[in-house]
Order: sequence, then structure tokens, then C-alpha cells
Amino acid sequence: MSDQPSRVDDRGSRAVAPILLVASLLCITVSTRSLEGIPESLGLTVFGFFQRGFSVVGELVSDTVASIAELRKLRDNFHELSAKLERYTNMERGLADLREENKRLKEQLGFSQEILYQRIAARIVAKDPENLYSTITIDKGFGDGVRKNMPVIAFQDGMEGLVGHVIEVGRGVSKIVPIYDSKSFIASRLSAGTRTEGLVGGQGSPYDPLLMRFVKKRTKDEIQFGDLVVTTGYESVYPAEVAVGRVKKVRVLEYQTSIDIELDPILDFSRIEYVFVVKPQNVLSIGSDK
Amino acid sequence: MIRSVVFSTLLLIACTFIQSTWFGGVAVLGVTPDICLVVLIWVSYKNGPVEGPAAGFLSGLAEDVLSASPLGFHAFINSAVAATAALLHGSFFIDKLLLPVILGFAGTIAKALAAGALYLVFGSRVHAYSLFDRVLWIEAAYNALLAPLVFLLLGPLSRFLVAERERG
Repeated sequence: MSDQPSRVDDRGSRAVAPILLVASLLCITVSTRSLEGIPESLGLTVFGFFQRGFSVVGELVSDTVASIAELRKLRDNFHELSAKLERYTNMERGLADLREENKRLKEQLGFSQEILYQRIAARIVAKDPENLYSTITIDKGFGDGVRKNMPVIAFQDGMEGLVGHVIEVGRGVSKIVPIYDSKSFIASRLSAGTRTEGLVGGQGSPYDPLLMRFVKKRTKDEIQFGDLVVTTGYESVYPAEVAVGRVKKVRVLEYQTSIDIELDPILDFSRIEYVFVVKPQNVLSIGSDK
Repeated sequence: MIRSVVFSTLLLIACTFIQSTWFGGVAVLGVTPDICLVVLIWVSYKNGPVEGPAAGFLSGLAEDVLSASPLGFHAFINSAVAATAALLHGSFFIDKLLLPVILGFAGTIAKALAAGALYLVFGSRVHAYSLFDRVLWIEAAYNALLAPLVFLLLGPLSRFLVAERERG
């Protein structure tokens, strides 16, 4: 009789986990049906603020250590650059004339890349906390003009490459799903030769090659190692002709009507620090939703 | 009880931030350790069936917000792992090396099983580990290796993370 309350307590304690598991399942059910995007967006805004704080602290520590060594380098560079500056000042006069001429020619051709799309520069502040998913968080959000489904590019070693697209936007941060995510698919084509088309998908890790599927089998002899693969721009959130990867290996299976091509991503994702969110002017799929 | 849930949740959320911002440099083949999971196992093992799952659920929701996973995915996984760890509550004496290593490894496997269970229900709308993929095994080994250190660091925080009744 006396141990009745403790039994009730015990039963109550044991009920906590099942209740929470059911609550979790309810959350997944609601969110996978995409009934609500608001809780995620609000949460991202709040947690993104703290995440940026952690990122800043981490960078502050590593930057302080790095800057000590860098100061020495800077002193040497200063002397070197002073000499260069003198040389470049002389060159600048000639450059101004060339720039003016280039501008005139561009106008005559009616072509300017700047007119095609604007870019929002952003810094990567965090990556997905889990190994199962592969999002990238940037420090620009709704307030900076970033919208859901906007494509994201980056420059590395002088090459422009595709990073991914925006999947969620908070006030000052946004989440990007990179092209190596296993749920990412990009309509692409070989840049040269046959211009063969296919669908590029990731395998979940930046260390695994991208996979270009549904490539016509008859083109297999024309595909060379190192060939560049770019976006097609068809009904896609991605602009056309942005580099995706280079051919690494061609997989031909006798029983398949198409071939698979393994690609090395054009960008080394472990080294990317800054990206550009592209604001295409004529992409219909980009709505006003956060 | 509420105090330990609050402190545990805050610590787990802080671990999530650390994982997402600072751990890029310690990734092995792109795989980072799951410190949150190790902390959660310790909290659940020490507290029993209420505090661990509650803190796991709340921190899991925060993790879902920061990740591309559907809301509730990590909340479910954390609650399930915490409930499993809580079943062992008080069964063993936690030594400094062997048991933390076993718990870190087994906890990662339990997490993979929970993700697999969700995959069976929700299909491709959620991600799951593959038994034949390196990610699961690198993460399990990483968590197992770090568990003794994490458990050691959590010891002095017992008065914040463990309910009073468990501390005696």
C-alpha cells in the first residue's frame, strides 16, 4: 500500500520516453508533408544567431594564432608590394584606355555577364552538425535578399563552380544544400564535343565523386577523362553553363541503355570559405517565400 | 529534475553549435564525431528514464533546425538513444576507459538503428546510415575514442547535469 505512489511515479517516468518518441514522429510527419515551413525558419533565425557567435569565437582564436605568423610575412610583403605598386602605377594609365575600349565593345555586342545575374557574397559560418545530412550555413539571409531555391556558386583557383542551392532562409543566415548531397540533382551536360546531357547527383560526401546518370550509351567513345561538365539551365534553379565537375571515370554496364559517369567536383568543398548567392532575373521557380 | 534537464539541454545545444562550427578541422574523410551523442548517453545513463530523453528530445529539435533533416528526426533519434542508455541506468560502474568506449560505440550503432527505423517508415524523406558505408564506422570509432575524455570532463559537472536524487 505504502509503495503505491512510487509505482505511479515509476510508471510516469517510463512514459516520458514513449511520449517524446511519439511527439518526434508527429513532428517528422508534419514537416515531411511540408505543411509548415515557419517553425524551421524561425528556429534557424534564433539558433543561427548563436551558431554565428560560435563561428566568430572559433575564428577569433584561430585568427589570433595565425595572425602572429602572418605579421612577419606581411612585413616582407610590404617591401615587395611597394616596389610592385610603383610599376603598376605606370601600367594603370594604359589600363584605363583598355577598360574604356572594352566597355564600348561590350555595349556593341549587347552582352554583359553583370546584367545576367547579381551576386550576394556570403561567408560560410557552419556546416551540418550531423554526418547524415550535408548542409552549409552562410551568414546572409532574408534581410540581405537571399531567397529559397537561389543557386549558389563559388570561385576557386580561377574557376567558377556550382556549390548548391538555398533550401531555407532565416533573417541573417541561410542553409544551402550542396551538390554532393545525395538528394541533390542537377540537369547537366558535357561542355565540349557532343554536349551530351545527363543528371548529376551527389553521394552524400564531398570526398565521393559526383555521379552523372542517364547519359546516352552511344556517346561513350567520345567522352574523355577530364572533360568539363556544366549545368544546362533547363527548368532548373541553376543558371546555364556553370561548371559542376570533370569526368573521372565512365561506367558502362552491358544491361543498361545508358552509362554512368563519375565526376570530380570542380570545387574542393573542404577549402571553400566564401560563396556567392546568385540572383537570376528570369528564374520562375524562385518565389517570395522565405 | 527540471534543473538537470535545462542544463543538459543547454550543454547539448552548445555541443551542436561546436560540432557545426569548429569540427570541420577534425573531420576524418569528411566525418566528424558526434559529441552530442556521447554527452547524451552520459546524461541518460546517470539520470534514468526522464531527464535524458527529455534533454535529448529538446536538443534534437534544435539540431533539426540547424540541419537539413525534417523537424523531429534528431528529436526521435536522441530520445530513442537516451531511452536505451537510461535502461542501463545504474547497472554498471563506469570506469575510466572500457565502458565509455563501449557506450560511445554502441550509442552510435543505436543511433544508426533509430535512423534506419525512421527510414523504414518515412522512406527517402529521411536519411539513414548504410552498414556498408564508411561514415557509420568512422563515426562509431571516433565517438568510442572520444567518449572516455568526454565522460571525464562531464564528471565535475555532475551537480548541474545529474538530478539531486541520483547524486544522493
